[in-house]
Amino acid sequence: MQVDDALLSRLEKLSFLKISEDKREEIIEQLSEIVGFVDNLSELDTEGVDATFAMSDAATPLREDTPDCNPEIHEEILKHAPKSADDFFIVPKIIE
Amino acid sequence: MFEVVIGLEVHVQLNTKTKLFCSCPTSFNHKQNTNTCPTCLALPGALPVLNKEVVHKSIMLGTALDATINRVSYFDRKSYFYPDSPSAYQITQLYTPIVEHGKLQIDFEDGSNKTIRVNRAHIEADAGKNIHDGDISKVDLNRAGTPLLEIVSEPDLRSAEEAILYLKKLHSIIRYIDIGDANMQEGSFRVDVNVSIRPKGDEKLYTRVEIKNINSFKFIQKAIEVEVSRQVEAWEDGTYDEEIVQETRLFDQVKQETRSMRGKEEAADYRYFPEPDLLKCEVTDEMMEKYTKIPELPDAKKERFVSEYGMNQYNASVITSSVEMANFFETMMAEDGVSAKTATTWLTVELQARLKGDVNIMNSPVDAKKLGFLVKRIDDKTISGKAAKEVLDHLMENEAVSVDDAIDTLGLKQVTDTGAIEAMCDEIINANQDKVEQYKAGKEKLFGFFVGQVMKASKGSANPQAVNEILKAKLG
Repeated sequence: MQVDDALLSRLEKLSFLKISEDKREEIIEQLSEIVGFVDNLSELDTEGVDATFAMSDAATPLREDTPDCNPEIHEEILKHAPKSADDFFIVPKIIE
Repeated sequence: MFEVVIGLEVHVQLNTKTKLFCSCPTSFNHKQNTNTCPTCLALPGALPVLNKEVVHKSIMLGTALDATINRVSYFDRKSYFYPDSPSAYQITQLYTPIVEHGKLQIDFEDGSNKTIRVNRAHIEADAGKNIHDGDISKVDLNRAGTPLLEIVSEPDLRSAEEAILYLKKLHSIIRYIDIGDANMQEGSFRVDVNVSIRPKGDEKLYTRVEIKNINSFKFIQKAIEVEVSRQVEAWEDGTYDEEIVQETRLFDQVKQETRSMRGKEEAADYRYFPEPDLLKCEVTDEMMEKYTKIPELPDAKKERFVSEYGMNQYNASVITSSVEMANFFETMMAEDGVSAKTATTWLTVELQARLKGDVNIMNSPVDAKKLGFLVKRIDDKTISGKAAKEVLDHLMENEAVSVDDAIDTLGLKQVTDTGAIEAMCDEIINANQDKVEQYKAGKEKLFGFFVGQVMKASKGSANPQAVNEILKAKLG
């Protein structure tokens, strides 16, 4: 897969991230390298392997529907959030 | 002539005690962010563990919709970036949902019906809530990770009326099998409508427009009607191709119009892929055995009411439209000597009229047993219907008082003792000999006068039917 400036712009839009002009070349290079690395997987012949194939044939474990919540945990998390007030996480205004 | 084509997507919040993938309590109106944990806040390293009850409730819905329950289904990851989803993806079931190929019957007033196909119902996680406040947005993630079933119909609906019938039936089924509260105002039953039009006879599907999150049946009906007019007008004006594009629109309740939610933006790219943090979801034989046994559904209950209580179709469908009302009615009928006809009137007319504000059928000071007993007292002629209204008013105000005590206190016991009524009739006849002469001479209108006088003498407690019969006999 070719990573070019158009794809980078699209990724910026999807991820809500802004890549500055002087970093673009470098990021494109790094992304190409990562995608190229993952491309190695394509060497594997997956003909006849079901798309839902998983390493384990076990079903996902199920949990009892019993509430359990430690109030200290969310306080701790809110404390470490970049911005919080009145127990809300605060983010820049979302344009609707 | 145009044909309207509608498909509906309904998000139902399941009434489990905990979230879909973690043990945080599901809640409405709790303090912001108190019901969160590393899993639903998507902290690195936290892994989802599926709630057993969600699988059970999905099987129940699948059974109610006469659908295929997939013994193996899979979760998929839908990527999108928005602050109400801390993981920046939603876990859902795109490729193999737990429930597929169901159907739901809608009934028209004229007694005919139509089967609407249900494409699928899949499990997914709800997002949190954003509160917009000036330059910032406040994020509350209590709802993040709440289990949803998204129930998707085929585009089989042909009018706003059909859409509403479908939604009401689906709503009623969810309440009957008790898998969710299905409260539209609180957002536990959320409806997205897909609408398109086509020339009658055309089999092709044209551009569909999605109208999102409308929170009442009334507004859903209106939203469909105005959107259909918009599309028809564009077609007739020759501007259909430019004006009608596949997009999401919002219904403006004040202006009574739909409008585009966002400008022309490149189509969202959700980059779906199989969820790597979860293995396949398996429905075991034991689960099938246990959770395909569901409570009686509205249609079955209606038919049973018709045959068991001799009710007409209309009354039966009114009573069974809500599970709370149906259960209330059955408790009333459990009292000996209660007729279905009187019980229906007293439940749907008299009690309903007295339920105001926060008082509803579930917390009414007059419960089903008590109303049943009051109806019994009407049916056995202890009190008249008119007197019963007074008794009911009194009971609504005085929860601890029994029906019979209220009748005694108010002195409303109906006199059915014919001896007492005969004595009263004799008294009135003797006191009004002149009128008796006139009546006998042919002035039949005067009969009403005598009935009125006797009723007055009895302070309204005489059984009017008995008074009529006795007077007729005495006046010849």
